[in-house]
Formats: sequence, C-alpha cells, structure tokens
Amino acid sequence: MSVGAVDITYRGIFQKNLAGVITKELVKAARHEDKIGGTVQRYGDSPERNGIPAKQFSVIADDADSLRVEMTKYEPSNVVVVAVMDDTLTKGVESWAWYGVRPINLNLAPGGTLLVISRRSAEELLELIPRREYAWNLAILPGEPSFGGLWVYNDDGTDYRTMGAVSRVAGDLVSLDSLLAQAASGQDGELRAEQLREGHDSVRAYPVDAGVGAEDTYEPVEMPGWTQMREGLVIPAVPVGETNPLFKKYTTRTARPLVKFDACVKCQICYTVCPDECFIPTPEGHWDIRYESCCGCGICAQSCPVTGCIEMVDEAVFDSNEPLHGVYENNREEYEELRQDKLAKAGGPIPHYGIF
Amino acid sequence: MAAPELTVPDLEINRRITILPLQEYYTSGHRTCQGCESALVMRYMAKVAGPRTLVTGTTGCMYVANTSYNSTPWSLPWAHTQLGSSGSSAIGTSAALKALMRKGKIPDERINVIAFCSDGGGGDMGLATLSAAMQDTRYNLLILLYDNESYANTDIQASGMTPWGAVTAFTPSGKRQRITHHRWKKNVPALLMAGHPTGRYFANTSSGFGMDLMEKVRTALDMDGPTFVQTHDPCPKGWDYDPRMSHELAVMAVECGITVLWDCLEGELRYQGISRQQVEGKLRRRPVADYLRRQGRFAHFADEDIDFFQSRIDEMWEDWILPGVLRVNQTPFGPGGSRG
Ligand SMILES: Cc1ncc(C[n+]2csc(CCOP(=O)(O)OP(=O)(O)O)c2C)c(N)n1
Ligand code: SF4
Ligand code: SF4
Ligand code: SF4
Ligand SMILES: [Mg+2]
Repeated sequence: MSVGAVDITYRGIFQKNLAGVITKELVKAARHEDKIGGTVQRYGDSPERNGIPAKQFSVIADDADSLRVEMTKYEPSNVVVVAVMDDTLTKGVESWAWYGVRPINLNLAPGGTLLVISRRSAEELLELIPRREYAWNLAILPGEPSFGGLWVYNDDGTDYRTMGAVSRVAGDLVSLDSLLAQAASGQDGELRAEQLREGHDSVRAYPVDAGVGAEDTYEPVEMPGWTQMREGLVIPAVPVGETNPLFKKYTTRTARPLVKFDACVKCQICYTVCPDECFIPTPEGHWDIRYESCCGCGICAQSCPVTGCIEMVDEAVFDSNEPLHGVYENNREEYEELRQDKLAKAGGPIPHYGIF
Repeated sequence: MAAPELTVPDLEINRRITILPLQEYYTSGHRTCQGCESALVMRYMAKVAGPRTLVTGTTGCMYVANTSYNSTPWSLPWAHTQLGSSGSSAIGTSAALKALMRKGKIPDERINVIAFCSDGGGGDMGLATLSAAMQDTRYNLLILLYDNESYANTDIQASGMTPWGAVTAFTPSGKRQRITHHRWKKNVPALLMAGHPTGRYFANTSSGFGMDLMEKVRTALDMDGPTFVQTHDPCPKGWDYDPRMSHELAVMAVECGITVLWDCLEGELRYQGISRQQVEGKLRRRPVADYLRRQGRFAHFADEDIDFFQSRIDEMWEDWILPGVLRVNQTPFGPGGSRG
C-alpha cells in the first residue's frame, strides 16, 4: 500500500490558481492509472496574502484506505516532490502558522526531488538551499516565475510544463502518458500536450549527496499551541521602537528595494508610504531600510520621485537582511560598487511583475 | 520603555510630515499582503493617535492578518471585537473609561477610543451599531472604517461598498452575464452624516493622502462626542493588481472623482486637496477608465461598462448640490425649483 505527495510551494495569491490547477490535474491524471488521490490546501496558510509563501498538496495513493490515513495528517508525510514555483522561495519560507523560517526542503522525503522553476544553475541554487542528512535530487525547470492575480489567470503554460516535469522526476507517482490522457479529455488538449512534453523534456535533474548544499543555519520552527497562550488570549504589546519578534515577513519578497543614497533628495516619501514600517531615519536625512521587515511590495520604489533612486532587485542575489546605509556611511564608493554588483548579478532591476 | 529619540530632517518639500512623531504604535510584523494599504491606514491612525489610545477592531483582515498565532504588531492596547460590533464596542469602551474615571479608579485624563471596522463589518453588518454610536453624544469615540471594498479576509466577497461591476468571489463574470454585481456603492460617511445631526465630525479620506488622513483622524480625536472617518484603501489581493501600484491607485481614485476627500465638522462641509480643486472647477477629473483598466477585478469590463461607470460619476459631480457627497439634485424641489 503506497502513498506519495507532491508539495507545491508558491507565492500566496499570485500563484494560488496556478497551484490549484497543478494539484488537481495531477490527481485526475493519476486516476488513469487506477490510483486515487486528493488535494489539500494547508489550513495554516489561509487566508492567503499576496506574496506570503503557501502550500498546496496532491496526495496520490494506490487505495482508498492509505489515502484516508494520509489526508488526516496536517501535512502529508511522504513528500516525493516539492515543486517550487518561484526560485526566491528557496531562501526559506516563513508561513502562517509557525514561528520561524523553514528550509525549502524540510519535508522532502529521502531520495525525493526538489523541482525549482528557475533560470539559475544548480550550483547557484545549492548556495541557497540547505544540505540534508540524506541524498536528494535537485531538478530545474528553466523559466521565469509565473505570477497572476486572484481573478485574472496567467495562462502561460507554466501549469502544464510543471506537471510534465513532475512526471519526469516522479513517473511512479504519475506518468506522462496519464497526464497526456487527462489533457486530451479537456479543452485545448493539443496545446496542453505540447506544454506537458516541453516540461517533461526540458527539466534537468541533478543528484545531491547527503551533506551537499548551503550550511543549514535555520533555527527549528515552532508551532505555538494552546498551552503557551495566556488566560483571556492576552498577548504582550510590542514595546515602542521594537517590532513583532515572532513574525518578520521577509520571506514574502521576491525583490527588495535598493537605494542609491547619492541620488536621494531626502523627501521622506518612501518612509511615509511604506505599509510595513521599514524605513529608519539616518542623521544625514537618508532613509535606511530594515530589510528584516520588508515584504518587497515595491511601493517605495514606485513612489520615490527620483528616477533610479530606489530600485527593486531580485531577492536571490542577497545574503543578508542587515540594513545597508552603514556600508554607505563607511565608504560611498564601496557602497556604489556593491549596488552595481547586485544589479549586475540580478540582471537589472525588476520593473513590474503583475499582469495589471 | 521610553520612545527612542530620533532626529527628523526638516525639509521644505514635505514640511508637514516632519511635525509627526517617528514612533510607530502599529509596527512591522503583520501578515498583511504585499502592498496592503489598509495596513498603512492602521499605521497612520496609530501614529497620530499616540500612546494614550485604546483600539478595538472587528473581525477582518486588520484583525486576522495582524494578530494571528499569538503575536501582534500593536504597541497600543488593542482588542478584537465581533464582526459588526464596532459601534457597540466603541460606546462600551468609552463608557467604561468614563465610569472608571468617575469612580476615581483611574486618573481623569484624555484617552482616545478608536474602534475600526471595514466595509463588510461596518458598512453592511455593523451599520446599526455605527448608527447607535453616532447618536450618543455622551461618549468620546472615533469609528474608523477602512474601506477595502470587499469582505477581504474571507477571500473577497462583494459588500455593499464594492464598486458596481467588480468581480468578487460572489460576483464572477461569466459568458452569459458579464456583470453580476449590480449594486452601486453606498456612501457610508454621507449616510451617517445625513442621519445623525448629533455626530460631531464625519470625514472621507484615502490611504493615498497620508496627511489628509492623519489630519482627519487627529481632528476627530480632538472632538468631544461621536466621530467617524472612512478611508479608501486599495487592496492588491482583492482588486488584482501589482502591489507596487497601491499608492498610485488610491491617488488615481481621487483624481477620477470616484473617491472624494471631504469632511463635515459640526455641520460645516468642506472639500480638501484635489477634490476641492475639482469642486471649484480648477481641476478636471481624470477619466475613470484610467483607474478601472488597471485592476483585474474590472478586466471583464466592456467599453459600455466603463461608459456607464463614468456617467454615474459625472452625475454625482454635475447634478448633485453637494458633489460626490449627497444625492440631492441641483433643483431639489423638482422642475421650477420650488414645491409649489
Ligand atoms: C458574525 C460573523 N460572520 C462571519 C464571519 C466570518 N468573517 C470573518 S472576517 C470576514 C470578512 C469581513 O469583511 P470586512 O469587514 O470588510 O473586513 P476585511 O476583511 O475587508 O478587512 C467574515 C465574513 C465572522 N467572523 N463573524
Ligand atoms: S518594498 Fe519598500 S514600501 Fe514595500 S515593504 Fe519594502 S521598504 Fe516598505
Ligand atoms: S523617496 Fe527617494 S528621494 Fe525621497 S527620501 Fe526616499 S529614497 Fe530619498
Ligand atoms: S486582502 Fe486586502 S485588506 Fe486584506 S491584507 Fe490583503 S491587501 Fe490588505
Ligand atoms: Mg472589507
């Protein structure tokens, strides 16, 4: 009696419909192999918020009893594929119900596959993904993250390409043939078949040995239980000048604002419009950014009156959440070099990523 | 803990902002969406209210996203109250403070009481309690309605304040019926103002106009008696747009004349900023298409839907005695202008 799950880790709301299509279609395809399955949206992520990491699962079993047992669990136990819909999520996810940031491959079964949609190389990704005590596989499906909205779906084929890739790395769970049969029974069958094959053929897998990958600096995550709650559900207020110690929000972001302090006219607009209270005044009149709190919405970059002063830069090229004005104060040239270096690594600033 | 001393650069360009405290009483670490303007409204509201403030909030995003899983971004004392009950909660809190002060149990001092709600919990479900709060002149309170134009927390259902035609979980656009939300948005601040002559202060503002918003919240808190402030807050999740556009959309709604910046202090109606210039005929309104075409919730709109939307906005500016506020036509007593 066997049961396995595919975990779709994605950006809340932006990729909610995408994850929904993938999880449901995988389960329907598995029926063509006389398997039985179900989908789960992790309750702890609900209601989803834009950008905040979230998960949906397809659970596929040989028989109904195994499925039932698995579906009663908070999260499925045998996750054979974790499909990551945006590669900045590989820096770790801070989701709703837990305190702390979880490694992206925390629940991946030994020998399982972490499938990432990315333009980066395996080496680059393994600088971000922590090592495990067991061997696993890293699979890369070349592509950009596909972002849509709650109402307007970004129908760019990422859904079927991802399913095709899943069938390549976990053919025992659901095969390409079953996916093709399922697609043929729906709308746009030929287009879907093409996308499935493209995903299946273009994915590249790399075995990762135990102990290979980034250093695991993650603290254990904690899920608070009722025993920790005070009478009357009283929560201590945040002391003035501090921030909520139990939730940081930075794993929400796909890009971060990088300031060219030399261009800043000290107008304070960025500080005024930031919904996440990130800006810290400096004696010079510049506004430093507390990256730990920044969710990467981009409102500051959009509102700054000086063109090119605040730019949104791919989160994957940064390795620290420390504010950066200190570097600037120490040495302006050095700061400018750092800024240029990050922009070059990221391939320039990100102008806009929604459909609307 | 004493608030940290922070220097504020004093610059001409935004001088009015420099007089504001840098301290945040609603701070980082809330689970709101990227670019949530309602979170920004909470921040502005807490900032101008200052530390001697009690806040209650009804169920909704500003409860669930802020204070989940045993953690909080509030530095002010904050309590959750039932969906629909912001009016009762404000009256109760204010009455309790008054009683404690009368009995000498706490020092007699000014403590701000703010109860917030959104369009669903305030404009629909809680309207009766808002009405009760606006009638009772014995209590000092502010009701702040953050209008994100849907029941947002439960994944975007239509409310009485959702704009005409918008897609929500309850009002999808289909092949047979393009438009399924047929109700024109209700105007809650005007409705409360018109029906409650005892209310001291009513205001409509927008998250895109931080100074206007903070001035209105401050004005409300400085009054004795019941006060009401509504803010128009773009919600990137429910309105479906790139979060970086949040602030611009709020501003655009005012430029198009969809949101009107006004207040009414003891019966005196005033318009502010862009809205004032529009009323005085000094500034043309921007076409509503600019605003509608930038949001996924209106992606299904045909040109005729945009034209209809525009015509309703035009009417409220051109035919009403109080443009954008109250629908009393220029000729209130019918043709001829008198009842006879
Ligand atoms: C009496 C009651 N009915 C329904 C709910 C479920 N519920 C929780 S939040 C919410 C949406 C509230 O919408 P709104 O007041 O507009 O606040 P928003 O989510 O937009 O911030 C609903 C319906 C509830 N908590 N209580
Ligand atoms: S991107 Fe800018 S506005 Fe948005 S949270 Fe970060 S610092 Fe604040
Ligand atoms: S908005 Fe731009 S110019 Fe203004 S203070 Fe911020 S960084 Fe400087
Ligand atoms: S759904 Fe809208 S109001 Fe709620 S947290 Fe997200 S942006 Fe804010
Ligand atoms: Mg609402």
